[in-house]
Amino acid sequence: MSLSTLTKPWEAMSYGFLDGSAKRELRRKMLKSVAVPGCQMPYASREVPMARGWGTGGLQVSLTLVNPQTRVKVIDQGADDSVNAASIRRFIARVAGTPTTMDTLEADLIQSRHRIPEEVLRDDQVLVLQVPNPEPLRPVQPNMSIARQMHADADYGRMWLQLYEQIVRSGRVMQGASYPSLVHGRHVMTPSPIPRWDVPKLHMAKHLTILSAGREKRIFAVPPYTRVEPLVFSDVPYKVEDHGNLTCTRSGTTGFFMNEIPQDDSSSAFEVSDSEWGVKTIRAREGEGESRGETWYKDGEMPQ
Amino acid sequence: MAYVATRGGERAIEQSERLFREDMGPFDRKRVDEVKQGLPYLIDRVMGEASLYDEDLAALALAQTGGELYEAVLLLRAWRTTQPRLQVAAPIEQDSLFTHRRISAAFKDIPGGQVLGPTLDYAHRILATDVLQGETYSPEPVEPAANPSPAYQPSVSAWQAENDLLDPPADDPTKGNEIPDLTREPLLFPAKRAHTLQSLARAETGGVLALGYAAMRGYGQAHPTVNELRLAEAEIAVTHPDGRQFSAGRVKVSQAEVVDKKGEKLGIGYAATFGWNEVKCIAAATLDLNSPGAEKGSATEEEFFLYHTEGVESSGFCIHFKLPHYVTFQSSLDAMRDAKAKKAAGAAKQQEPAE
Repeated sequence: MSLSTLTKPWEAMSYGFLDGSAKRELRRKMLKSVAVPGCQMPYASREVPMARGWGTGGLQVSLTLVNPQTRVKVIDQGADDSVNAASIRRFIARVAGTPTTMDTLEADLIQSRHRIPEEVLRDDQVLVLQVPNPEPLRPVQPNMSIARQMHADADYGRMWLQLYEQIVRSGRVMQGASYPSLVHGRHVMTPSPIPRWDVPKLHMAKHLTILSAGREKRIFAVPPYTRVEPLVFSDVPYKVEDHGNLTCTRSGTTGFFMNEIPQDDSSSAFEVSDSEWGVKTIRAREGEGESRGETWYKDGEMPQ
Repeated sequence: MAYVATRGGERAIEQSERLFREDMGPFDRKRVDEVKQGLPYLIDRVMGEASLYDEDLAALALAQTGGELYEAVLLLRAWRTTQPRLQVAAPIEQDSLFTHRRISAAFKDIPGGQVLGPTLDYAHRILATDVLQGETYSPEPVEPAANPSPAYQPSVSAWQAENDLLDPPADDPTKGNEIPDLTREPLLFPAKRAHTLQSLARAETGGVLALGYAAMRGYGQAHPTVNELRLAEAEIAVTHPDGRQFSAGRVKVSQAEVVDKKGEKLGIGYAATFGWNEVKCIAAATLDLNSPGAEKGSATEEEFFLYHTEGVESSGFCIHFKLPHYVTFQSSLDAMRDAKAKKAAGAAKQQEPAE
């Protein structure tokens, strides 16, 4: 035995950028987070060649899960061509040699910032959500260690109180995105700042969702077929954004989450937020064949 | 160019980076060497915040980012991620530091003497404008002392401990790979002592100063006296697989001990970092001094200052607000409009005259 048989030739960086010990830690923490759905697992969170807050948590998970056959889709605010999505996609492909796609149905792994695609995800797909703030209790308790204790005690009273106060003051729950949700009847998690429109897609979904916050060093998961219930009072039902009747001015599709585009005449136009869904709709309209999959929402409504 | 142009994102980001690089023009090893030679204290600061001791890489990071400090530190931290952890060096005691400068504000004189060493503390801060007129700035030569001060000095706190003025920290028998490593484990609270000192060592200088200064001005409970401030070089002793210990070279380090009376004894705060960075060490040691028993959520509480002085995280999060946030914003708009409509409907109802 010689030293050369024990080592391999020097390389500037490991496959997928992260070294073996970083990936091992991430795999362990992902398994733990699947085992205790919605519970935040602290992890070391290595520095990657991207600024903190720019998807470094999601990126570390994606880099750990991919192999050269994994087809990767990256979206930001629903769009594949958003500048940071393009940057992350290019980085993953560069360091892990993965094929990339924009088609939700073709993807094995989808890394997303703040949207869940409109087409239903299958059980062989993994959704990786980038998380800026993993702590749903932050608005009522900014101290991480106290919040951690509150989760351990399932002490969510202040959370409920906050929702109640909003209803009293404003007539409704004012939470926009990142609607706090109870996972598997035990842990309250933030679904990351996805719109309320997307939260029901996580409930009893077939796919695995991993949520990772690189800067805050926390990872949590929604395993397949897990209950994800937005915190609501029994007499004030959960309300998604009022987008069910809006029509995309570019593709003509109706009944999905839209981006509002202010117009010169003080009115608004709307564009479908899931850019690839828009592209597929345009293709179908122009007779290039039907490539659209089944969607979570039907006619602007989430079936119960 | 549109912010999110259809299928234009890739080209836009490519060109925007080119524009940044083009403004700085090409550079080579010569510029890296000039940065390293001309800006040693900046190099020190960057190495400290990157927690990576390599003057050439630090100079390269500065040259490559045009001196954008946060970017330079991030470059080095990301590079650090790719490096294996080969060895844990032998622990270094204070009295084995090759000391260049060591002063104490607590006593007029101390065992080993006050050693001023290199400093601008007493310089008159006057710009050498002659240089702009073509003159060469030639510093006066140093006149060596008749009796050189000893290179190795005991710590002031050791004398205080012997005189029962303070309780020295308990001996920590943790060795080698057992020492908690902040870069391989998450920071949790109450923090392990090693994590606290490592966090402070790589904290962002400006952030540590801001919070340390707040504590000094009166938002802290303790008033720091600089017990000892030291600029030194530390010998890095590592062990060869065959068991022999050898030196992997020297690194510049700085450290500060600050004290304050706590009942009948002195309380002590400590910080050390790679490179020579006195402001950071004094401010960090002040935070350390103030942290025991600090109120939750106050600027001197460990969780508060360790999280908020982490430069790569804080700067990254700050600039992330440049990213599009229109989905989140849309979601908030929807809630606002609905609440407003509800209010208007409620008000209309109330205006109806009573029968």
